[in-house]
Amino acid sequence: MKNRLKDLRTERNWTQADLAQHVSVSRQTINAIEKGKFDPSLPLAFRLSRLFDLTIEEIFLDGE
Amino acid sequence: MQTHNQTGGDQDAAKRAGRLALWTLAWVASLALARFGPSLLWDYQPVASWVAVAINLALGIGWIVAHARYLREIDELQRKIMQDAMAITLGVGWVVGFAYVVADGAELIARDISIGALPVLMAVVYMIATVVGQLRYR
Repeated sequence: MKNRLKDLRTERNWTQADLAQHVSVSRQTINAIEKGKFDPSLPLAFRLSRLFDLTIEEIFLDGE
Repeated sequence: MQTHNQTGGDQDAAKRAGRLALWTLAWVASLALARFGPSLLWDYQPVASWVAVAINLALGIGWIVAHARYLREIDELQRKIMQDAMAITLGVGWVVGFAYVVADGAELIARDISIGALPVLMAVVYMIATVVGQLRYR
């Protein structure tokens, strides 16, 4: 699934490890989500949504 | 929900993996005891053999519970990699196992293969599938 995670992260000058720490997952998980290889669980999507103060739909783009 | 920062999270992950490894070792050791104990240690005394089998079963149940708990606690990407590896392993175990049963029933296989070969095959498949999963999501 396409998403804006990398843009949102780099806007804040965060590394993948920084973002991973903020949402309590591994850096590998953030990397896989940014590359569109892995779709996050709903709880993780909500944590990202709260962190960036955006709706889930504003972070994750429905490809259909 | 798991907590994960670079130091504390890694330490927690290592602790969880270590706990699962201990359960795995305990189960493997009890399996070896139940398998080789009768011939090497207690000369096929039934009571001792039953005790060894009971210990193996009890540790096996503990290992399953520890594995389920480990899956719940780990990072969600790692959980997906493990679940994918387990699905492939189960599929290979079934397909190869039933193929062997069918081929053996049709008398296509000249010599018997030990049933112990199946878990060894599944363990190898699981390890390969896990490594492939790690590489895919690297």
